[in-house]
Amino acid sequence: MRTSPPSLPLFCLGIACLGFGAIPLTQAGGGYDWRLPKGFPEPGVPVDNPMTASKVELGRRLFYDKRMSANGKSSCATCHKQELAFTDGLKESVGSTGEHHSRNAMSLVNVAYSAVLTWSDPTKTKLEDQALVPMFGTHPIELGLREGDGFISRLQSDAFYRQLFPTAFPEQANPFTVGNVTKAIACFERSIISARSPYDRYHFGGDDNAVSPSAKHGEELFFGESCKCFQCHGGFNFSDATVSARTTGRHTEFHNTGLYNLSGELTYPEPNLGIYEHTRLITDIGKFKAPTLRNIAVTGPYMHDGSIATLGEVVDHYAAGGRTIHDGLFAGEGSRNPNKDPRIAGFKISPQDRADLVAFLTCLTDQEVLHDPRFGNPWPQ
Amino acid sequence: MNNRPLRKRYLSLLLAAVALAGPFLNLSARAWRQDSKPSETLLVTGDIPTPVGLKAEDLDKMQPESVTVNEEDASTNYTGVTLRSVLEKAGAPMGKSLRGKGLASYVLAKARDGYQVVFTPGELDASFGNERVLIAYKREGKALFGYQGPFRIICPNDKAGARSIRMLESLEVVRLRK
Repeated sequence: MRTSPPSLPLFCLGIACLGFGAIPLTQAGGGYDWRLPKGFPEPGVPVDNPMTASKVELGRRLFYDKRMSANGKSSCATCHKQELAFTDGLKESVGSTGEHHSRNAMSLVNVAYSAVLTWSDPTKTKLEDQALVPMFGTHPIELGLREGDGFISRLQSDAFYRQLFPTAFPEQANPFTVGNVTKAIACFERSIISARSPYDRYHFGGDDNAVSPSAKHGEELFFGESCKCFQCHGGFNFSDATVSARTTGRHTEFHNTGLYNLSGELTYPEPNLGIYEHTRLITDIGKFKAPTLRNIAVTGPYMHDGSIATLGEVVDHYAAGGRTIHDGLFAGEGSRNPNKDPRIAGFKISPQDRADLVAFLTCLTDQEVLHDPRFGNPWPQ
Repeated sequence: MNNRPLRKRYLSLLLAAVALAGPFLNLSARAWRQDSKPSETLLVTGDIPTPVGLKAEDLDKMQPESVTVNEEDASTNYTGVTLRSVLEKAGAPMGKSLRGKGLASYVLAKARDGYQVVFTPGELDASFGNERVLIAYKREGKALFGYQGPFRIICPNDKAGARSIRMLESLEVVRLRK
């Protein structure tokens, strides 16, 4: 950090900047009540999918509905559990058929502000499009749906949906479409805003007792010249580039943090090669998104592949300027990865400072968003 | 057996030493905390007639200005005084005295975490760059606290935020030609 350079314009640091991610956004229409506290910008929404309370409610029903999977065993909520800030607590997620995903489930909290949505797909910038991946994707199978397999009919047979779909899409004669399913789910996901953590009460609310002295010192380390965590986890969302109703899209960045350094050309373990999977540039191997740190204490294990178990160990990784794996298939000195972001330079940190930094990260946990019934399962248990 | 009272005495001495040292150990832990607390005084030092220490209330008595910047996608209002006025108050080369050798000067702004940036009298002075750089002490009308304060610099016209340093502790005026 830099105590210093902040966030005025959330400036692009220029490294690995890509020209992806210009999202057609507009201010939310329909008078949707985001319940945003002071200091939080209004999220942007696509022009063709304004927020409405009825779409959010429909999306919530769909999100928690296991009929959204081909075999009726999984829903979106299987990998995105509210109490875990909409992650699943697993190293790598498991699809409805038992197939393992190669990635750690990302949190959906404050996803409305994300300039890019996934760990390493720069083209996925719109929740409506992203929803199709778990629904119909085959590598890996997540929900396992296939076009024409009757899942729309299954939804249509439900009395709730026969009421909710026409209410959410009143202008359409037949609102039961895949496109409307993804629009409703996207609206629900955008509604999940986390802004009431102890840190928010301290920083925005001025409640000096909301966080511990340890967390306050951790905050200084986070934003300070030695650790500089804020350079990639900056702004109100403690993340890479954010978007809102006021912004028209920002350059997004992806980072190789020196997690691996395998011998050979592919220095990261397949299939998790970062944005290289899309650009095919060797210099993009191992570059992943820096996600929001809000609620990070409940979203472990960490990193794109869940390969670090605790926050303390994550701090150790960054303090060392990369991870060294001494033996086994993934042996290598991550700090020497040729694509490593130069900002991952390492830093000295005392045990007390390490604990303070973790205390700060922990105070970003918003218990309200983890238990708010607006985001919970609406179906009878 | 004869050693027993002696051992007891040593034990007592040891306990006494621990009891005495305990508060000092605690004190040193507290001192570390205190060291990490921000200074409430902004120091202006260097090649000026006399070093100056300014508190937020001193800035309040100058001519505070407010500026609204786009910060983290939201408009944020800061209150402070211009860096130019602080340098003038400290007797740095500004205004009529800013010419010739005075133009070969710079101001080193230092933050509590060691971060440093530089400004020049030339860019700040009304006759030259006339750049409005603020030393802020309030955000949204409330005193800056935590990692932000108690003082920070706001450069409203900078495209990047790297000179708008937080935790500002001191300004050192350096005259390269005297």
